[in-house]
Amino acid sequence: MNAIAPFNGFGLGLRRTHYADFLDRDVPVDFVEVISENFMVDGGRPLRILDEVREKLPVILHGVSMSIGSAHGLDTEYLDRLKRLERRVDPLFVSDHLCWTRTSAHNSHDLLPLPLTEEALEVVCANICNAQDHLGRAMLIENPSSYLTFPQDEMREWEFLAEMARRTGCYLLLDVNNIYVSAQNHGFDAREYLAGVPLDRVRQIHLAGHTPAEDGREIIIDTHDREVCDAVWELYAHAMRLLSQPVATMIERDDKIPPLPELLAELDGARRIAAEAKQGVAA
Amino acid sequence: MTMAAAPLADLQTTFLAQVLDADAPLPHGWGSSHAAGMAVYRNNYRSALIDALRAIYERTERWVGADAFGRAAAHHVISHPPTSWTLDDAGIGFDATCAELFTGDPEVGELAWLEGAMMDVFTAADSTAMDAAGFSAATAAFGEEDWAGLQLAFQPGSSSCVVRHDLRAIWQHVADEDASGVAVTPLDHPATCIVWREGERSTFTMASTLEGRAFTTMQAGASYGVLCEMLSDELGVEQAIMQAGQFLGHWLAEGMIVGLRS
Repeated sequence: MNAIAPFNGFGLGLRRTHYADFLDRDVPVDFVEVISENFMVDGGRPLRILDEVREKLPVILHGVSMSIGSAHGLDTEYLDRLKRLERRVDPLFVSDHLCWTRTSAHNSHDLLPLPLTEEALEVVCANICNAQDHLGRAMLIENPSSYLTFPQDEMREWEFLAEMARRTGCYLLLDVNNIYVSAQNHGFDAREYLAGVPLDRVRQIHLAGHTPAEDGREIIIDTHDREVCDAVWELYAHAMRLLSQPVATMIERDDKIPPLPELLAELDGARRIAAEAKQGVAA
Repeated sequence: MTMAAAPLADLQTTFLAQVLDADAPLPHGWGSSHAAGMAVYRNNYRSALIDALRAIYERTERWVGADAFGRAAAHHVISHPPTSWTLDDAGIGFDATCAELFTGDPEVGELAWLEGAMMDVFTAADSTAMDAAGFSAATAAFGEEDWAGLQLAFQPGSSSCVVRHDLRAIWQHVADEDASGVAVTPLDHPATCIVWREGERSTFTMASTLEGRAFTTMQAGASYGVLCEMLSDELGVEQAIMQAGQFLGHWLAEGMIVGLRS
């Protein structure tokens, strides 16, 4: 499988409310990321818009339904459609999540948690290899946020990710907010997580907001509906100090999407923190 | 089943059953932290699907009101757990769900059908409509047998449904934010609603049920000769030939035809 070269840049998710902004003017981002499934269609306006945006900017295809942790294997029709889109777009990266979404009977349309066992690792690796062979390219796999763990877990999530990357040659999409959310929910040290993942395999970082715990609910939830919180910014700065290669950093907002200038201002914050982190390392 | 020692496939089947059924008892050995986590997954599942239905059936929601729509959507999510990887398919069967739930307002199921069809055709394969000049050129050398064997290709994703209410009036009405307070009277005769795409825009027309049958017959691959035969059963031969020509002209004028099938 071909290696994926590091990409240095800052981008946003391309969402419907901002289509006109991206079509009508030059938005100061280095790339956009789209939800693959929204464009795995036969034709119509969404694909035409994606084609036009692609003429201006690199595009990342980010999937939510491959279900690489599914013991029932991958959906071939899904892979065929993703491959058609990949050929059309020539994306910077193709990514999905370390999770499962379906059984052979039903689809949850949610990123469900995997037990961190050798059996699950073997299933995930087989599915990633299948997907990479089908697509003819290496993928990026994102660490999920999760709300429960399994009694039969045999390893930590960062150990699972490291072994997954080693066995399959895939790369990592590090979602710093997800690390923070899961660390809060499961009581581990987010910095220990960062120290444990193979950072040389990281090609992209996601930043997002989450819903804090409240009376009656101790779990914090990955909702992508608000600004990145200070604790996640601090974790991002720490990650940037640890990383020795450039990465693509992105702000992910999927709900209560604000006007584009607000997201661009937040992205400027990421640029500033990344620059300061690198300066600190150099000093 | 205990989930502690289950192989991954069994664990996933059991876990998803827990997500789908909010009343299912938790697996043996699960404590309060697992229950709290499962509550988040259950809520995520339902809210994602209900949000998807709200996005597809914006006008239907406006017509029945947010509360009634929310109850119908929740019922549909429970009774039709999704099988497809795409959320666009979450609405499969929702028109039937609405017809079942809004028995006193039969236009609701029809409106939901229309809205689902408009969404489906929105991302159908691209194609260019054949205009009258193009059709004339393509059939210029046709003899009688060629006409009898003529088959038409319609815009990809086109669909039709027999309805009993004036969906054009309802559709225009629910384009406004406030769609309340409108009396709905059934049509004097059933009609056929035909949906297709003009360029990038989904559109529809209300046709007679006779034209609707002609459309579905030709869309299914029947020849022009078969269409004329079908119509002659109701209209007689001469009138049938004239009527078939009028339907053809209407479909060409509306941009519903993309070419001749070879």
